[in-house]
Amino acid sequence: MAMQSIWSGTISFSLVAIPVQLVRAVEPGRVSFRLLHTKDYSPLSRRMFCPREEKMVEPEDIIRGYEIGPDKYITVTDEELESVSPERSRTIEIVEFVDLKDIDSIYYDHPYYLVPSKGGEKAYQLLAEVMRRTNKAGLAKFVMGEREYLVAIKNIEGALSLITLHYSEEILPDDDILPGASPIETLETARMKKIIKEMTADFNPAEYANERRKSILTLLKKKAKKQPPVTPPDIEDDEEGPVDLVAALEASMRKVKKNR
Amino acid sequence: MTGRAIWKGNLHFGVIDIAVKLHTAVKEEHIQFHLLHKKDHLKLKQQMICAHEKVPVPPEEQIRGFKQDDGRYVLVTPSELEEILPQDSRVISILEFVKTSQIDPRYITRSYYLEPDNPSRAYLTLAAALTDLDVEGICTWTMRKRSYLGALQMSGKILRLNTLRYADEVVPVSSLDLPHMSISEKELHIASDLISHLTASFEPQKFENEHEKKLRQLIDKKARGEKIVILRPRRLKPTSPDKLLQTLEASLKKVA
Repeated sequence: MAMQSIWSGTISFSLVAIPVQLVRAVEPGRVSFRLLHTKDYSPLSRRMFCPREEKMVEPEDIIRGYEIGPDKYITVTDEELESVSPERSRTIEIVEFVDLKDIDSIYYDHPYYLVPSKGGEKAYQLLAEVMRRTNKAGLAKFVMGEREYLVAIKNIEGALSLITLHYSEEILPDDDILPGASPIETLETARMKKIIKEMTADFNPAEYANERRKSILTLLKKKAKKQPPVTPPDIEDDEEGPVDLVAALEASMRKVKKNR
Repeated sequence: MTGRAIWKGNLHFGVIDIAVKLHTAVKEEHIQFHLLHKKDHLKLKQQMICAHEKVPVPPEEQIRGFKQDDGRYVLVTPSELEEILPQDSRVISILEFVKTSQIDPRYITRSYYLEPDNPSRAYLTLAAALTDLDVEGICTWTMRKRSYLGALQMSGKILRLNTLRYADEVVPVSSLDLPHMSISEKELHIASDLISHLTASFEPQKFENEHEKKLRQLIDKKARGEKIVILRPRRLKPTSPDKLLQTLEASLKKVA
């Protein structure tokens, strides 16, 4: 299954450079809904719209602007944006490796996968395998679009997963809500540990069935019997479902550039 | 300083009940851009557009549908959805415990601090137990009419709740169709050595968002009417597979 590439470039560690593409690791769940037009049931998509001309605007006619006053903007083009940090816009340079168990999970933000581009398959697998054997993750910074991300790259089931991290200044301090006493070993702790041990199992996300999902699927079964499901008109629907608009826009802006 | 608590609940398992208050643990801040029409720099609006007619569709002409495998949609009205919304309760039910090392970071979405609602011996006891056993509690709860799945963990000083995705929201690795290549033990051994030399302790505070500062400088420059020098992004030459071993060896020489 070909995945839509969000970003393409190179990951490196020391002198080794691996061509890769960044793809999604998160998709809409089984019970996500699509908005349809009541008139003909064609699927709706989010698009940018000019309020004055009352028309849809294509990605090549869109520019980003930073608001410096009411209706006053400083525009920034893609080239100007890439010029801000040119060394990090197409390269993810792993500067160090850390033990997986040392990464506090509060830092984890959003997951992606890296897939190797042509020629990079061997080096990709080498990096993935050696990180698996040593239980480590690579830390790097790279720029994608308007933001610079701090990321952890780790092996998940043989693939390289890139997880964006929060910067430490984005983690709120907890000093004012701390319990006020340290956890202490008591007889109660021993009893609680016994209960916890009895309730311990392997992490199995597929099991944690969503009550909401079950009740929606029941509702859908009933509804499909009551009212026959509708068929949308036969048109090209290029969206899978709810899409991150900015990412989709950047992807289509890149496509437009490539085709010029 | 954390803000006010956003929600109150009770951690529950067996006969144990611990009242807690949830606080958000992360605050993201970065430069936001608006999307403008190139022609006249007018701010654009997001609209739902009909894929067929390419015109905007007002909310009263929108309906939700669930796509079946055959491509047809089952229509669902807001009132039908409302009927099956979970009931709000204050209970955070712990279903089971799992080893911390097993929690897959692809599943983690948001983090909350859990403040004890009143001085609580049970809170401290649970905190100690989770630390000693190095486990996290998998929980479910309903907050503002939405069902959540999460992992309860002890982070040294305070209990935290990390919300988790459901399994069907994570893209499976198998769908990536990664090719299987043969790697020599020698290459793996040298790479492992190299990584040891590049290993450091996890100190996230040493990483600053430098791009944000430079972005502000760019905006200031443009506001003053200064010319912006366009720099091409650096593109590294990929290491070819037959040069991999010697590149690893050269890297190791560099860092050792």
